[in-house]
Amino acid sequence: MPELNHDELDPGRAACRQFDADLPAYLEGEERPRVVAHTRLCPFCAVILADMEQIRFVSRHLALEEPAAKVWVNIRTALAREETFREPATGWHRWLPRFAFQFSAAPVAAMACLTILSLTLLIPPREFERKGTADRLAPSSKTTVATALTLGLDSRLAQTLREMEKSYLAGEMFLEPTLKATYRKSLESLDVSINETLSHCQREPADTLARQYLLSAYQSKAEVLASALEFEGR
Amino acid sequence: MDDSPSIVKEGKPARRILWMSSVLLLLPLGLAATPGPGQLEKTFATTPNPQISFSNLRGQIMVRGLDKLQVHATCTIVSPRVEMDTEALPRTGPAERIRFTAHVLDPLVTGSDETIDCALEVPLGASLEVRNQQGSVKIEKLQGHTWVESAGGRIAAADVAGHLTARSLGGDIEIIRPSGHVVEAFSINGTLRFEAPTSRRLRGNTNSGKITYHGDFVLGADYVLSTYSGDIEVFCPPSASFELKAKTVKGKLDNTVRLTPTRRPVTPLYSASSLLGTHNTGSATVELTSFSGTIRIREQP
Repeated sequence: MPELNHDELDPGRAACRQFDADLPAYLEGEERPRVVAHTRLCPFCAVILADMEQIRFVSRHLALEEPAAKVWVNIRTALAREETFREPATGWHRWLPRFAFQFSAAPVAAMACLTILSLTLLIPPREFERKGTADRLAPSSKTTVATALTLGLDSRLAQTLREMEKSYLAGEMFLEPTLKATYRKSLESLDVSINETLSHCQREPADTLARQYLLSAYQSKAEVLASALEFEGR
Repeated sequence: MDDSPSIVKEGKPARRILWMSSVLLLLPLGLAATPGPGQLEKTFATTPNPQISFSNLRGQIMVRGLDKLQVHATCTIVSPRVEMDTEALPRTGPAERIRFTAHVLDPLVTGSDETIDCALEVPLGASLEVRNQQGSVKIEKLQGHTWVESAGGRIAAADVAGHLTARSLGGDIEIIRPSGHVVEAFSINGTLRFEAPTSRRLRGNTNSGKITYHGDFVLGADYVLSTYSGDIEVFCPPSASFELKAKTVKGKLDNTVRLTPTRRPVTPLYSASSLLGTHNTGSATVELTSFSGTIRIREQP
């Protein structure tokens, strides 16, 4: 009797092994249609893919973690004692470790969004004009200021949000249907707010309250996506 | 040839008896194997101010503060495919921290099978952190910090005397008689309702939900209520003393409370409709804002 290999005995496991083999290349960005196709049939591999996507997203947005301040102090003390290092640390370098990120990725991404958004939105339109936008755009035009605002959002914050949204959508299918509906509804509601306030800000760039609402809507969206990504990661 | 039918006739009752016996024997086993709700009941002796964290997937959570130095939890677990872990620290003596965490034992479990309903009795001074993905959370009579988060569940907190934060994406939030220094409620689609607060700092924010405030304003306290498209309704007694700053981008302002107008701040970038004024001596600060929702201020009858 000819010997059967495992793949012939259990085609499902063979597909899983193929998935394992293709996964690294897929995560590197190569075309591997079988990977996604397999996750539709195999919930266990789907969970693995979702986790890997999550890790990929997280690692992309994580800041390099600095060692604790104590480590630097100990090294500095040791080097000073050996007289191999005399130059005192100056300025912000001394403070840097204190601000090292210690959070999980989703909040870090949300924080990044908020920082960019705050910088973009909280600078009044006149500041935009003063700090270089005026070189390219007519400073007195309301439309140009609004365009600058929109461009600023598109190029930085919106890109980060899009990344988060993409990551969320990739794993959305693994959310429990009611939970998914809740997130969908929240995100749709915030998208409506963002679109309305954005178009209002384009018409009325001097409206600080509308800008605050735009900031708030983006902030909320980042928080909702971060929360959803945390749920997906569980 | 003639005997064979009689053999069959004789065999039928015997087979039937055998069949019936098998059914009778197997039926209780089958019933025992049918997954049914499980119960978890635990009691922990605690310090006066333990930190309690509770993480659940789905279900109704009820937490009540009692004048006892113990945490008593009663949980109904719908499916054996989920479990509730409990951990108390330190392991001996009164617990300073207690953690309840719902776990899925089968990754394919979904829907109502994830449900764990829990009732917790905790010391009055306990600090509480509750995460309930789906399902309501109800909290009563707590004096410590209380933090509640849900994706789609309703949150109701009554007589909470500590710092209170409630967040729900889609669920409504109702906060009754809070007296802690800070009260915060955030939602995206849910409504917010504040009833008779005596806190000194109150924040309410929702995107599309409505905000309702019933009650007086505390001397020196500040209140910030904001919604994007929902309405804001404030009902206060005639004796209420507050300085009002109501602003809306595209909504309406509807006020029937007599206000002494204050000078509008000179801000050239400002274009929203606004209502700035003082009622009585103006001892509290009330800030109401909306993008397109209507803001109503009324005196309570």
